[in-house]
Amino acid sequence: MIQQLSIFVQNEVGSVAKVTAILKSNNINLRAIASFDTPEFAILRIVVDQPERAKAVLTEGGFAVTVSEAIAVELEDKPGVLHDLLQVIADAGFGVNYIYSIVIRSGKVPLIILNTDNLEGSKSVLKEKGYSVAEQEDVVL
Amino acid sequence: MIWAKEETLTRQEMSDLQFNRLKETLNRIYEKVPAYREKMNQAGVACEDIKDLDDLAKLPFTMKQDLRDNYPFGLFTAPKKDLVRIHASSGTTGKPTVVGYTKNDMDLWTECVSRIACMGGASSDDVAQISFGYGMFTGALGLHYGLENIGASVVPASSGNTQKQIMYMEDFEATLLVATPSYALHIGEIAKEMGKKLNIKIGLFGGEGMTEPMREEMYKLFGREMKVTQNYGMSELIGPGVSGECLELCGMHINEDHFIPEIINPDTGEVLAAGEKGELVVTCITKEALPLIRYRTGDITRLFYEPCKCGRTTVRMENLSGRSDDMLIIRGVNVFPSQIEEVLLKIPQIGAHYEILVDRKNHMDTMEISVELADESLLDSYAKLGELEKKIKFDLRTVLGLDAMIKLVGPRSLKRFEGKARRVTDLRK
Ligand SMILES: [Zn+2]
Repeated sequence: MIQQLSIFVQNEVGSVAKVTAILKSNNINLRAIASFDTPEFAILRIVVDQPERAKAVLTEGGFAVTVSEAIAVELEDKPGVLHDLLQVIADAGFGVNYIYSIVIRSGKVPLIILNTDNLEGSKSVLKEKGYSVAEQEDVVL
Repeated sequence: MIWAKEETLTRQEMSDLQFNRLKETLNRIYEKVPAYREKMNQAGVACEDIKDLDDLAKLPFTMKQDLRDNYPFGLFTAPKKDLVRIHASSGTTGKPTVVGYTKNDMDLWTECVSRIACMGGASSDDVAQISFGYGMFTGALGLHYGLENIGASVVPASSGNTQKQIMYMEDFEATLLVATPSYALHIGEIAKEMGKKLNIKIGLFGGEGMTEPMREEMYKLFGREMKVTQNYGMSELIGPGVSGECLELCGMHINEDHFIPEIINPDTGEVLAAGEKGELVVTCITKEALPLIRYRTGDITRLFYEPCKCGRTTVRMENLSGRSDDMLIIRGVNVFPSQIEEVLLKIPQIGAHYEILVDRKNHMDTMEISVELADESLLDSYAKLGELEKKIKFDLRTVLGLDAMIKLVGPRSLKRFEGKARRVTDLRK
């Protein structure tokens, strides 16, 4: 499992930039980011190299932030691999809440980040099927 | 401690005292204030027609507009050279209302505030920080003189520069805070953020109404043992010192040897029976410079004449449910911002600050309420935030009988107020 931050951002010009500015000035490295097109506010999800410190500096900056776990799975760059992975979770009877993109890691395969209604269950079925599930250390590097 | 013997008179003793004082004051006003004499003549009532306290109902009302029409000193009964203090309230529209005090008025003001401070638990042991804005506003100097009079050590911090306020409170070991309830909450929040443990044991709050959930917030921020009371007044009457809560927290005792209260139907002007809800009307019976007869306060309340457990016999007014001029009419429904506040403060997932925006779209009134998200765990999913919005809407609809739009915003993103909070914006006007 990896740690992701969920941040409450208002739908205003510059609100995401305010988050990235705080991360930048604290030398925190952003590994993945996801946000959706919502009318009023958004939950911005990010993965960083220092989640607890990021939470502290963002809270100080006036943001509501929570740290939670998510599954990060290594995926080869081949057609159909995402479908196969989702099928494994669906066959196990778990629901996917959201998926977001890829953590950039030099020289390694990309990761896809998932949240389901049963994190531990999803993680073990994926492992059973031979998927490589990453831990926090894997995104730091 | 009960400060004055006048707070424990029997009803009969009080009525006799009030009637004598009323007669004297009315004669003086009739003689010296042409504008009120004119009103009495038009109403066909003479000073001799006032034979007992019930006859007060025969006298014409004084309105805020009368003060503006007679700006600045037209309603005064003392010559300008006898004034030792002049205050003015910042009118949002037109001329301000000007009030003045003679030397005796200052003494009586100080006396009234001393009583209220004692009702709220203050004593000569207290270090009292006054975080009302000093200046033309009567609140700060009123509390200042009253608290000095009972022997408290007064710190005239005024409002603003909250971090420095907190430093003074800590360094001077302030035990008593005077502020508007909204500013007190702000001070409490900032102190908490700064990791400071304040030693405030008594809060004397005023300048705006305090709802019960706000009192609960005070206990959360300053500690359960805090004595949290509110007091009431307005500059036209004297400033603070008209009434205040005692520690029994069952309404605000009116200093009725100086101010006679009545409750009227705001539409018809008819006097209502004790216990009925209506607009508070106050007659000043001891002031020298500016005694107003039957002043329409615009505040909606009730009066209770039963003696209080605290030992005082003075009449109590119910804590305000709203000023009649603060009331919003939305799609034909009467809404007091304090009702909205009651609902919001009972929901722990949001903060104590809020803003109300009223507008009209396609000939329909709309109300949008902004609230700060306080519970980070809801960020797990949009569904949880959606449920929170639904709950707020549902609770509001239950109390108000109408639908509001809810806008969730980030923590500490709404405006904080150092004086009276102005949380309502009505774009329909
Ligand atoms: Zn009492």
